[in-house]
Amino acid sequence: MSILSVKSLLKRFKDFTAVNNVSFELGEAEILGFLGSNGAGKTTTIQMLMGILTPTSGSVSYFGKNLVTHREEILEKVNFSSTYTNLPWSLTVQDNLTFISYLYDIKNRKQQVEKVVSLFKLGKLLNMPVTELSAGQTTRVNLAKAFINEPKVLLLDEPTASLDPEVAQYVRDFILEERRKNKLSILFTSHNMQEVEDVCDRVLFINNGTIIADDTPINLARKIEFSHIQLYLDDTNMKHLLKFVTDKNYQYKQDKHRVTITIKEKEIPLFLGRLISRKIHFEEISIEKPNLEDYFLQVASDGAKEASFETVI
Amino acid sequence: MKLHRIYAIVLRFMFLFRRSYDRMSDVFYWPFIDILIWGLTSAYFQSLSADSERIMSVLLGGLILWFVVWRAQYEISVNLLEDLWNKNLVNIFVAPTKFSEWIVAFFLIGLLKIVISVSFAAALSFALYRVNFFEYGWYLLPAIPILTMTGWAIGVTVSSIILRYGTKVQTLAWTLTYIVSPFAAIYYPLGSLPPVAQNIAKFIPLSYVFENARNLLTKGTINPNDLLIAFGLSFLYLCLGLLFLRNSFDKVLDKGLVKVY
Repeated sequence: MSILSVKSLLKRFKDFTAVNNVSFELGEAEILGFLGSNGAGKTTTIQMLMGILTPTSGSVSYFGKNLVTHREEILEKVNFSSTYTNLPWSLTVQDNLTFISYLYDIKNRKQQVEKVVSLFKLGKLLNMPVTELSAGQTTRVNLAKAFINEPKVLLLDEPTASLDPEVAQYVRDFILEERRKNKLSILFTSHNMQEVEDVCDRVLFINNGTIIADDTPINLARKIEFSHIQLYLDDTNMKHLLKFVTDKNYQYKQDKHRVTITIKEKEIPLFLGRLISRKIHFEEISIEKPNLEDYFLQVASDGAKEASFETVI
Repeated sequence: MKLHRIYAIVLRFMFLFRRSYDRMSDVFYWPFIDILIWGLTSAYFQSLSADSERIMSVLLGGLILWFVVWRAQYEISVNLLEDLWNKNLVNIFVAPTKFSEWIVAFFLIGLLKIVISVSFAAALSFALYRVNFFEYGWYLLPAIPILTMTGWAIGVTVSSIILRYGTKVQTLAWTLTYIVSPFAAIYYPLGSLPPVAQNIAKFIPLSYVFENARNLLTKGTINPNDLLIAFGLSFLYLCLGLLFLRNSFDKVLDKGLVKVY
């Protein structure tokens, strides 16, 4: 069942098209990664999904209802957290959570505030003004705010940025648990590709305002043909190896006794066979399969080339 | 409209009021200074002439009535600025909050601060100078709503301009009401204005309220027609101001709420 349905979303700012004909669906209990370089159109899209930016055209529907005509009903069940939004800084954490709890139709408001305080370990921060919190503490307060209405859909814009690894892991586990227990659907942006691979069922890539890929993290990584082979060799073998890779035009990077060769995944057996036939011995070997980060880097690099081409034209 | 959402926004500003010396001084410090200075000034004028025994009541009464306009305007414009400075508009509008609920909350906060400020100023003027603000009697019943609506009209107009152009024009929140004040004839009769200004004053609802307030204290008379005109004008300006604000808000939504600051 589609919980969020985005159809032909377009946003133009004068002559600049920030989001171009974006369409996608978010299923129940699905975690959908929404990735792209800075300026690709992620935040603009999320703003339109929250109703705080009017699309030039296209539609956004939650639970089969249009956001424009059922805004109040929909936003009761949706929430949002971003590292890049603020809470009133002179108010304490308690003040902020209390006033925000009244923005939603919550039964047992006091207990719900206590619940999110406990979930995000904010007990000791309750009487501190937001302005005195660290970046990580602010992120936790933002997340508590996002869960205050027990949403059915959550839009998380870099939820773990500025969190230390332990708390970030706690947040990831919490999100996965909420999805399992409450069938929470999440749209998730992050620049941490490992995190996206760990958490997301499916990933959308947006580039120059257009969705260019919609697949699982594994399938996207498979689209990258090249793997990295890392070898550790002594001086003599290193010399032979470098001659061999230079002759065969392989891309490589050397760092003292370590060399990383970029090679098509299907050519790895042949490459290793040639090393053996040339009696090039290595002491250690590791093969890094392509991952989402490689895909992201390739997309970003293609996007940059495209942008510079457009500038030249 | 949902009361809990209106309450949420009122609560946000009451928390701020409790924790901000700026907002406290707006309600207590400035009224205190104004009452003190105008009271001493009018006491001095009163001592110069035996015919001017009502001058202190007229000036301090006018001043307290002016607080109503000022607070009504100020609470709308400055509370909007607070949300812009804190980038809090996003938190308000990613929730189901309606535009109308947001505005009603600002009006309510304004009313609350008017009650606090005016009560404080009235008590102070009585304690320091034995001037009884409530000498206006039933006249306050139509006067205060007209003054409040005019203040709100100026407040929503200022807020509309700030929403469109951002905090670079925030000074309007403190200044625009004072541009209107010479035509409002708060402390002097309308007849003492130059003819051009008198014509402008005809379109300012405040001028009718202050003129009649003075007449009530000095001659014991008021003109009900003036109050009707003032009510009509203030209501009209408030409606126009709200339309302008709604239009500005739609324009902001077109740019994105996160981009307005």
